[in-house]
Amino acid sequence: MRQEIALLAIIMLLVIAEIFIPKDRKVSIIHLTIFLFGIHTIVGFFHMDENNLFGGMFRTNHLIHFFKNILNIGVLILLLQSADWIQEKILNQNKGSEFFILMFSSLLGIYFMISAGDFLMFYLGLELSTLPVAALAAYETMKRISSESGIKLILSSALASGVSLFGISMLYATTGSIYFNEIVQMISSTNLTLLGMVLLFAGISFKISLVPFHFWTADVYEGAPISIASYLSVISKGAAVFILMILLFTVLRPLAHIWENMIYMIAIATMFIGNLFALRQQNMKRFLAFSSIAQAGFILLGLIGQSTTGTATVVYFVLIYIFSNLAAFGVVQAISLQTGKENIKDYEGLYRTNPNLSLVLMLALFSLAGIPPVAGFFGKFFLFTAAASKGFFLLVFLAVVNVTISLYYYLLVIRAMFLRKGDNPIPFFKNKIYMRIGLVITVLGILLLGIYSPLYDYIYELSSTFN
Amino acid sequence: MNYIILIPIVPLAVFLILGLFYKKIKPAISGYTGVMGLFISTCLAFYTAYNYFFVIGKTEGVYQTFVAKTVWMNFTDSLRIDMGILADPISVMMLIVVSVISLMVHIYSRGYMKGDPGYTKYFAFLSLFTFSMYGLVLATNLFQIYIFWELVGVSSYLLIGYYYTKESAVAAAKKAFIVTRFADLGFLIGILLIGYYTGTYDFEILNNPEGAAILSWASTSFMGLSILTWALLLIFIGGAGKSAMFPLHIWLPDAMEGPTPVSALIHAATMVVAGVYLVARLFPMYYFVEDGFALNIVAFVGGFTALFAAVIAITQTDIKRVLAFSTMSQLGYMMLALGVSGYEGHEGLGYMASMFHLFTHAMFKALLFLCAGSVIHAIHSNFLKDMGGLRKYMPITNITFLIAALAIAGVPPLAGFWSKDEILVAAFEHNKFLYVIGLFVAGLTAFYIFRIYFGIFWGKEGSYKHKPHESPWSMTAPLLILAFLSIVGGLIPFSRFISADKIGFETHTNYPLAAIAVFVGLIGIGLSWMFYKKENELANRFSLGFGTFYTWAYNKFYFDELYLFVAKKIMFNGIARSAARFDKKYVDGTMVGIGNQTVKTSEKIKGMQSGKVQDYAFAFIAGAVILAIICIYIWTN
Amino acid sequence: MINMDILSLFIVVPALTVLVLIFTKNLKQARIVALAGSLVQLGMAINLIFSYIKERAMNDAIMVFTKDVVWFKNFNIHYNIGVDGISVALLLLTAIIVLAGVFISWKMEDLPKEFFISLIVLSIGVYGFFISIDLFTMFVFFEIAVIPMYLLIGIWGTGPREFSAMKLTLMLMGASAILLVGILGIYFNSNADGGALTFNILEIAKVNIPSDVQKLFFPITFIGFAVIGALFPFHTWSPDGHASAPTAVSMLHAGVLMKLGGYGVFRVAIFLLPEGALHWSWFFIILSAFGVIYGAFAAIKQTDLKYINAYSSVSHLGLVLFALLMLNKTAWNGAILQSLSHGLMTALFFALIGMIYGRTHTRDVTKLGGLLKVIPFISAVYVIAGLASLGLPGFSGFVAEMNIFVGAFQNDDIFYRVATILAVSAIVVTAVYILRVVGIMLMGPVKNEAYLTLEKVRWYEKIGIVLLLLPIISIGVAPLWLSELILKSLDPFLRGVL
Repeated sequence: MRQEIALLAIIMLLVIAEIFIPKDRKVSIIHLTIFLFGIHTIVGFFHMDENNLFGGMFRTNHLIHFFKNILNIGVLILLLQSADWIQEKILNQNKGSEFFILMFSSLLGIYFMISAGDFLMFYLGLELSTLPVAALAAYETMKRISSESGIKLILSSALASGVSLFGISMLYATTGSIYFNEIVQMISSTNLTLLGMVLLFAGISFKISLVPFHFWTADVYEGAPISIASYLSVISKGAAVFILMILLFTVLRPLAHIWENMIYMIAIATMFIGNLFALRQQNMKRFLAFSSIAQAGFILLGLIGQSTTGTATVVYFVLIYIFSNLAAFGVVQAISLQTGKENIKDYEGLYRTNPNLSLVLMLALFSLAGIPPVAGFFGKFFLFTAAASKGFFLLVFLAVVNVTISLYYYLLVIRAMFLRKGDNPIPFFKNKIYMRIGLVITVLGILLLGIYSPLYDYIYELSSTFN
Repeated sequence: MNYIILIPIVPLAVFLILGLFYKKIKPAISGYTGVMGLFISTCLAFYTAYNYFFVIGKTEGVYQTFVAKTVWMNFTDSLRIDMGILADPISVMMLIVVSVISLMVHIYSRGYMKGDPGYTKYFAFLSLFTFSMYGLVLATNLFQIYIFWELVGVSSYLLIGYYYTKESAVAAAKKAFIVTRFADLGFLIGILLIGYYTGTYDFEILNNPEGAAILSWASTSFMGLSILTWALLLIFIGGAGKSAMFPLHIWLPDAMEGPTPVSALIHAATMVVAGVYLVARLFPMYYFVEDGFALNIVAFVGGFTALFAAVIAITQTDIKRVLAFSTMSQLGYMMLALGVSGYEGHEGLGYMASMFHLFTHAMFKALLFLCAGSVIHAIHSNFLKDMGGLRKYMPITNITFLIAALAIAGVPPLAGFWSKDEILVAAFEHNKFLYVIGLFVAGLTAFYIFRIYFGIFWGKEGSYKHKPHESPWSMTAPLLILAFLSIVGGLIPFSRFISADKIGFETHTNYPLAAIAVFVGLIGIGLSWMFYKKENELANRFSLGFGTFYTWAYNKFYFDELYLFVAKKIMFNGIARSAARFDKKYVDGTMVGIGNQTVKTSEKIKGMQSGKVQDYAFAFIAGAVILAIICIYIWTN
Repeated sequence: MINMDILSLFIVVPALTVLVLIFTKNLKQARIVALAGSLVQLGMAINLIFSYIKERAMNDAIMVFTKDVVWFKNFNIHYNIGVDGISVALLLLTAIIVLAGVFISWKMEDLPKEFFISLIVLSIGVYGFFISIDLFTMFVFFEIAVIPMYLLIGIWGTGPREFSAMKLTLMLMGASAILLVGILGIYFNSNADGGALTFNILEIAKVNIPSDVQKLFFPITFIGFAVIGALFPFHTWSPDGHASAPTAVSMLHAGVLMKLGGYGVFRVAIFLLPEGALHWSWFFIILSAFGVIYGAFAAIKQTDLKYINAYSSVSHLGLVLFALLMLNKTAWNGAILQSLSHGLMTALFFALIGMIYGRTHTRDVTKLGGLLKVIPFISAVYVIAGLASLGLPGFSGFVAEMNIFVGAFQNDDIFYRVATILAVSAIVVTAVYILRVVGIMLMGPVKNEAYLTLEKVRWYEKIGIVLLLLPIISIGVAPLWLSELILKSLDPFLRGVL
């Protein structure tokens, strides 16, 4: 509960700050937020708490706590990367603190969701985590496309949460409980249960944007402000993956023999669709949207692995994925902020004008593509190992085929930056301090997380306590 | 006798020196270096011969084989390649031949190549060739001989292509190398077979008549023949390639593109006899395996080539080509002799005769070439039509050529007579048919050689731009030396030294056969006297009498065209081009196609992303429902 | 004690070189740093050979100089390195070619720093691959070696560089992806005898993996490696790749990168899955033997020098795979020797082609002619290289081919005989395409007047050439020490295939 309270406190502080800080000095809100959240993130690493509250409605343990920390890091980086954007585009509409408040409350929702011990808490968290993001997506009210994406998001997510609520009610109907640990004992593969499971799964898959529940992704990412797109693609997706894992491994464990097949199919579909769509994207944000769909497909290989290895690899991969994707989004953010350009074509000759930015993006893309020695490779390799450990070699084979496809479009971006000279390359520019810190952190993560094996061992330890 | 190793080492050293510093060294110096090197080797060779034949070679009447070798590479625990030297009668004899001819050619070249831009390079190549030839001769095992076999091949390639700016020379060099390479393929496979089935490459072990290697032939068989026989036949293909046996002869005439001294050294006296030497080297195997089945093939191929080449030689107008075909024909003789030879004592006459003829032929054929060279040097043309009446301008060349011609025509008491006589006797004793061929060829030989002799030195004077003059001493001296050898060479009692079983025997001239041979030879000479000494129509009428046969012979029975067809049409345009196209179109096409197909698919499915929320919602629900149905109705049971 | 980690230096030194390179300002500094780095590498490689021979005398373990550090303990992944005769030889080869490559790119004007960095990174991958005992580490280095090719060809290449680079990278990475499946397959059966799962090659070699598993995963692993070894029909990345790549890259690529294929096939597929090898050898023998002939024939009709070489590589490396599948020591020895000699020879070829191209600005043989007169040194060496690659005695190629052929003849069976004779007959075709080039390009009259004023060979070019030519000749003249070095390390591989 500690982190939730801390985050809540931060939100409150921001509200107060909003009131007391005079108009002309709103900038300090940004510094304040980043400072506070930074502290919050760091504190999170000391003393993992482990307890069970409200009669099991809310429970937390080391793994969950650690996962919250991961999300915190993600959000912190995100804040750093979007600081400049807020300062230039948002503050003048004096909507600075709202931005943070909304984002934090969504994060708070995520906290609750992943610490949920019963479906009520889970659903509350789910809603709380979704609705603010819809608002954020529509944040650039000047831009039509932005509000459009907001609408799209709110509509689809309403549908999704409705469906999952429907599913939950069915589970309740068949098992007579909403508490995870009780359901586990009751549950059996009756048709109604299965229907409930599928609907619930669909609701969560929406957040992870698994095929066929992924359609909103590209449009929303494209329209929404970049920082929100990246929030959706890393934070909320990561959280959804985690909760899905919890549900599958604990509540629905008895039905493993069934959802295995489901995951198997969805994984294949997601990887192929995601990659095939990503192939011909011109806009960086859409491009990253589909690439993130494909990545979700890979994550499922870890879920299907089940067992401790499965859990560990998934958490590990999500961590790495957060860093890689944030690095990519960060560069896109920086460039679009400076020049408003968001198409791959605009990136031609980038290396010769902005070597550092293009190197960061290259590392990020290599990490996403799974090229050693950067972290992404280890993440993917372990996911595949997890799947193979259950003997799903065909699935692994299809996955590696997709890795090759994905390599193709990642290389397209690298081609644009390095191979092409470009007619009017983006001129050299220097990033503000926050952005630079944000990018440096991600790069360090990409470079070290993989090679530094104790990290994985640590996650593995946590996971082993988990189930 | 380990000092023998120095014989090849010296030319190698010369080659390295000339090769590495060829920019720095002055031509004159390089010429001397080459000659000196060869001179040293020659002295050593003669010392070796003396030492071997008269001092230490014989123990209780049998010539011993001295071997000194070291491991070069291990294939398996038993199978390996050794490098070493082997001294036995034929290898020592070959040392003499190679040294003498090479030395003569070196001296001669200093005059012939004077002022040539690549003078140093030329001598470097000559030394390289000589080194390789020594190595081949002294080889202790099949693989070593193969290694140097290839090396002589490449040095021949380099020397034929010496005038590398001449398209024809380049083509000839390429042809020579590839044709022999093709033959060597057979050789190599033969070696591999022998290695596998006898477990050794060593001549000593292989050639032991009672040895396991030879006796093992009966145990294997492939398509009715012993595999060892197959191996020997394959090896003979290699030999045939180098020795320009029919039908692998086509490279030799073109090889005349090289400088004439080179032709004399490589394509008359030494390299081309390597094939003969190879068969002789493995003679016990050829003789004992499957009762000499392979050996008969050798005999007939030799006999046929002798005839075939002699016929063509008559019709050629380029004197060097005439000599080239004459060489082929003489090599055929040697093969024939080997083929009809037995093993023990006087039975082995053919073997001895073959080696004997190899020896004498080296002398007079080299002489012929060098004379031709001196003529060409004088009038800058290879063609009979540009020649005639040169005898008064170049007396020495004239005389020496005449001597050589008489020698090859088999007129006693010159060298050729003795060796050829032995061959005919051997043939007569074993195979009358081949004897008749041999006899006929003897006649042809005499005819064509005197045809060019008269054509060059007698008859109507050609129209010379500037007055031809005798060549300088550096060129005529070798001529005289070789002439001397061509006269006395035959008087050596060869059979005492060289015989199949290494014991040595006495030969007695078979007068009736000798008389016949000489008579036939004289007829040939007489005919060409009538035809060519004075300008007259006889020759043309005579050739017209043969009609198409003449044209066929003149065009070498169209073998070049045949090979050209196979090479150009079938190999190049047929297989090679289609392979290249297939690769681009289909193999590569598939790979690229997979990629393009993927991209196409992504194009096709882009409609799915309509941008309408209601569609998304529909997909969402539909997906969930379908999933549920599958879950409930398929996966549960 | 310093010897204990003599191997990790092969990773550390180039890594340091890269670090230093990052701070270089211009071509001059960059090439000096690169040169220094690769010189040190070569020194280490040579030193390694000697210390290996010393070590081998008293230590008869399969791998020596081993070092084993746990990396990911839950997967039992180790950073585990060691060498045997095969790998030391290949390490030396790599060091030589990298150094030569640096010399050849002495005048790399465009983004020199980046060029040398990518080059050295590639070499890190190769070094690491050759010293790895752990499958995972091996795989990591494998991909590290491949990926820089994209930039190297894409940025500094010529012609359709983007397409070629993409094709090459995708095909190789696709192969490595398939390979990953194979490796996982091996990994999850490495406890067949009840031990723990392991990536350690030496451990797995002791395990008796069930034969049906072997039969399943051998082809996957084999192809995964063989693609980079230019196995027909997966060779098509190589002609375009070579043609578009800058000189030094072609050298490294054909010289060492393609050797990863043969080495991997040997060290992983055949060593760990012997029964699978026995079961499948016939099939891949057909492919590789066909590739040998096919590549040679395809080379005949090419007019672009680099294409000729690429196809000749297909032919020569087909011979490597062919020999590996013969499953006996002699052939294996030949295969390794062939890898070495082909590495040196093609590197030399590409170096020369680069020089000719740099001077005449064309690689079309039909446009060239009589170069022997204009640039004698380069042309003469080209002739020598040609003779070497058609397997002339006195050069490394002959030694290798003879081992292969003799080894292949150990299998007394009509199928093997036919396949072998097919492969052997390639030596004639090789002669044809080599001499064709020599005849058209070097000999004959000078076709283009402009060529009469071509600049003579430069000192750094000369060094590069000599660096490659020396080993070719020394192996060819005195092969014993090398072939013994390799032969002594082959016994462990026989375990399963007998």
